[in-house]
Amino acid sequence: MSEAVHTIGGYVPMVDGPEKVSGRAKYTADFIEPGTLAGRIYRSPYAHAEILEVDTAAAAALPGVVAIVTGADCDKTFGVLPVARTEHPLARARVRYRGEPVAAVAAVDDATAAKALKLITMKVRELPAYYTARDAMAPGAANLHDHRPGNIERDVHFELGDVAEGFAEADLVREKTYHCAEVCQNQMEMHAALAEYDPVRGRMTVHASTQVPYYVHLMLAQILDMEMSRIRVVKPHVGGGFGCRTETLNIELIAALLARKAGGGRVRIVVTREETFITHRGRPETEIRLKIGMRNDGRITAVECECCQRGGAHSGYGIVTILYAGSMLYALYDLHRVKYIGRRVLTNTPPCGAMRGHGTVDIRFAFEALIDELAEELGLDPFAMRRANYLTAPSFTDNDLMVNSYGLPQCLDWLERESGWKARKGKLPKGKGLGMACSHYISGASKPVNWTGEPHATVKLKLDFDGSIVVLTGAAEIGQGSSTILVQSVGEVLGLDLSRIRIVSGDSEVVPKDNGSYSSRVTFMVGNAAIDAAQNLKKLLVAAAARKLDCRPEDVECLGELYRAGAQDKGVSFDAVVTEALREGGTITVTGNFSTLPASQGGKKYRGAAIGGTMGYSYSAQVVEVSVDEETGVVTVDQVWVAHDCGKALNRLTVEGQVQGSVWMGMGQAMSEEAAYHEGLLLTANMLDYRVPTIKDSPPIAVGIVESNDPYGPFGAKEAGEGSLAAFLPALANAIAEATGLRFSSLPVTPDRVFAALEKRQRDQRAVPGKAA
Amino acid sequence: MEALPEFELLRPITIAEAVAARRSHPAARLLGGGTDLVVNIRRGIEAPGQLIDLTAVAELGTIKANAEMLEIGAAARLAAIAADDGVLAHYPVLAEAAASIAGPTHREMGTLGGNLCLDTRCIYYNQSHWWRSANDHCLKTTGAICHVAPKSRGVCFATFSGDLAPALMVLGAEIDLVGPEGARRMPLEQLYIGHARHDGSSGDGKRYLALLPGEIVARVRAQAVPGLRSAYDKIRIRRSIEYPVAGVAVALRRAGGVLAELRVAFTGTNPRPVLLAGTETLCGGALDEPAFARLDALVRDQVMAMKTTFTPGHYRRRMAGVLARRLVMKLFAG
Repeated sequence: MSEAVHTIGGYVPMVDGPEKVSGRAKYTADFIEPGTLAGRIYRSPYAHAEILEVDTAAAAALPGVVAIVTGADCDKTFGVLPVARTEHPLARARVRYRGEPVAAVAAVDDATAAKALKLITMKVRELPAYYTARDAMAPGAANLHDHRPGNIERDVHFELGDVAEGFAEADLVREKTYHCAEVCQNQMEMHAALAEYDPVRGRMTVHASTQVPYYVHLMLAQILDMEMSRIRVVKPHVGGGFGCRTETLNIELIAALLARKAGGGRVRIVVTREETFITHRGRPETEIRLKIGMRNDGRITAVECECCQRGGAHSGYGIVTILYAGSMLYALYDLHRVKYIGRRVLTNTPPCGAMRGHGTVDIRFAFEALIDELAEELGLDPFAMRRANYLTAPSFTDNDLMVNSYGLPQCLDWLERESGWKARKGKLPKGKGLGMACSHYISGASKPVNWTGEPHATVKLKLDFDGSIVVLTGAAEIGQGSSTILVQSVGEVLGLDLSRIRIVSGDSEVVPKDNGSYSSRVTFMVGNAAIDAAQNLKKLLVAAAARKLDCRPEDVECLGELYRAGAQDKGVSFDAVVTEALREGGTITVTGNFSTLPASQGGKKYRGAAIGGTMGYSYSAQVVEVSVDEETGVVTVDQVWVAHDCGKALNRLTVEGQVQGSVWMGMGQAMSEEAAYHEGLLLTANMLDYRVPTIKDSPPIAVGIVESNDPYGPFGAKEAGEGSLAAFLPALANAIAEATGLRFSSLPVTPDRVFAALEKRQRDQRAVPGKAA
Repeated sequence: MEALPEFELLRPITIAEAVAARRSHPAARLLGGGTDLVVNIRRGIEAPGQLIDLTAVAELGTIKANAEMLEIGAAARLAAIAADDGVLAHYPVLAEAAASIAGPTHREMGTLGGNLCLDTRCIYYNQSHWWRSANDHCLKTTGAICHVAPKSRGVCFATFSGDLAPALMVLGAEIDLVGPEGARRMPLEQLYIGHARHDGSSGDGKRYLALLPGEIVARVRAQAVPGLRSAYDKIRIRRSIEYPVAGVAVALRRAGGVLAELRVAFTGTNPRPVLLAGTETLCGGALDEPAFARLDALVRDQVMAMKTTFTPGHYRRRMAGVLARRLVMKLFAG
């Protein structure tokens, strides 16, 4: 007897895996046809300067150079936020960071393009440059952008509840300043774009290594001043993004400008690793002053947080980042008196962006490190202290965030048990330590940055004579597994084996629009749309089956490959049902949609309060075990336990992979990664000096999946790809605190910093006689 | 990734051919595994018209290691050195150093000669052409100042980071060179001239090898010393890929309860690998706290560690001392 196929909840290999592991998958850089021109970008050597002249005459005269564009070729601006579209694809009038694109060349080959770049010169009047937020905000500093006096991109202030009263009620109040270095994403694939201009039809096709083909489409139209209908954006296989591709980058815009200036044909730009770093959009350098009050029983009574981010030379997502940092103080614990002051500052460094865990990571580091310290001082167990601050679901936070499911208690229970916390905490040999911390993240922003009034997600399904179903989606598969989840979702509703289902993702000529892969929105939003589409298709199939079986549709039982009118009926095959369904109108296409609940779209209690609203928060808790070598300062992570509430694991293989990847990325930020500058020049723009952990640095990571079954999530699911990043940072710092007695408030905690702190303690102890241990 | 500029690749198969190729192309660069040179070429640090690949010269590829002697050709691969039974059994410091270099793929490609002649490194030097131009270049290339020490008056402080040199130095290795004027042999430490003296009486991070024009490293050799114990260790921020923050090789001999002989060498700190001078003053007595204090004093005196890496010089100097002490204790205890 045929049975419906179920894959949800299983370990399902990626549907695009065979192409990737065999090397057949094509990425943007792989589309090379004869006649494709090589594009290269001339970048500013100056950090801040008024452009007096860009001389491209010698480069233009070089044989083989086909087109050159400069700021003079485009007076339009771009940017992901409608309120902050201030960036030119090629600098006009002013350069604001070292590495900002000033001109670009398309030539017959790469060597000619490289040679041409060396012939371009620029004359400037240098302006004072600021490489730290403090310098940029200093009185009298020159403004990077005329409309942003004092170089403040955005000031955020809110106070919900009486914070002074909250501190007065506390048994212990502590205040501390934290510092997190700037970090970058480091996806495998370097940025690439391929633009093809058809001068006969006036059409532009752009292949880009992007997470957001729709936003690229919008910005191409704006920058080229072209009708959107003349533009096609293709997102081929993408080698990761982690947030640096969640906005249109200047690279795809410059490629298009070159292709049009060349009078047609193809221009391909594949930038270097250094340029990929400089294009940036990583996590900003952040300073956090945090004050927390706690009662003897562990309840948090008040929070005051001041956060300053060095945003770089352009806004990008910056306004959203500084708002997230404040709003996401909530929705993890039950907080009622919270004051937040946020400042996003413009500086002469490359623009930061929306890196994995957008806006929440550095704040969470500070928060979880400080409450750990408070708990220790009050003699409370870190688990018990956190349990005293649980939220309940469903509920709304004071800043109107809608919490529909809350698996944090189950995360803590699993973690406490699996890590052997009770038996081991405080009893480890000298130099070893256990630390724990929690974090959370959204499953897509309930209010998208480009509000159009359309559904948040739309999926189309096509069913034809061959009995195959094609999923058409704009959701960008970037290696995170979104295509697999969508195929599984459709298969689950229809009870079909995944071999019947194909997916086309990311070609604007074919697929419906999608906002893209960011803020962990795809599984939740596009997954729900895929389920809706599959249910709509199932209705048509059930109606067709009812006609074949001569019964009422409500009596039809769907077993995937078999439709029948009851257990005794031998039924009709899926193929026969399809033939019947197609009889009336031919090929079937159905649509599925998803829109967020208005109540989940955040509040209006302060300017920007909508940021942070989602329909499902994921929850994570981690225990990190470390050994510290006190003679060298070397910290070894021996083991990590991580529990993640993803609502429902649609695919355990990808959930575990995403959670481990998040932990690992958090480990990089916590222990070794740091973007360092020399007078605005990025010193660490390579894989040797920008220290992403290697496999030899990677500890065993035990993943516990917690399923809180979100009432609105697809099959109960919430996000799994970001929420487990932030908790690693404070869990590590808290573990080092047990191992050494030192609390580190600056990241990354590199061996030299540990060593310096240990040396300092020794000096201090010597300075106070009698205090030596 | 930046494309490589055009170059001619020469592949001699005998030492004589290699020397001849070198003579006819004075501006050519010698190529081992290319794990360092090719990166520098990609970055536009140099653009040699010819590369002379030495890995096809069979007589340069041999490894002989037994209880009496060690002899390794310049083109021997790092992975092969690390895995050689004779090296593992009799010269463990060398096997450990070779196994700790970069990552597995680098060790499959990299060679002894390449690691011994590894270009010195600096955060202001190992950057793209665009980057260095925007920073007015530096002494090691075409610039006028050293960004690490702007008042250095012409002295470059780029750091030597090869792991094999200190390991071989504590074994008392000698190096064979061949050139247009014939062959010569010298103690390995004499190959490195980057003392960076301010009076200009030595080489520095820019001029760091004693090779004469046209000269090629052919092999290293060492006589086994009965009873010699040796080991290598290094600190790095990550456990793979990276150059050493500080690397230390130690070899010692024990006679009863007495330290009879001690050799200590460092890498990742100065513009040359440093064979610690004065270790004989620690020998002949018990290995006690005062002896370790003297060892620390020698290290502090001779290890330089300028701001050529992201890791502060102070830390690198201190780690050189910590690792040296640990290795000495471990080897002495046996």
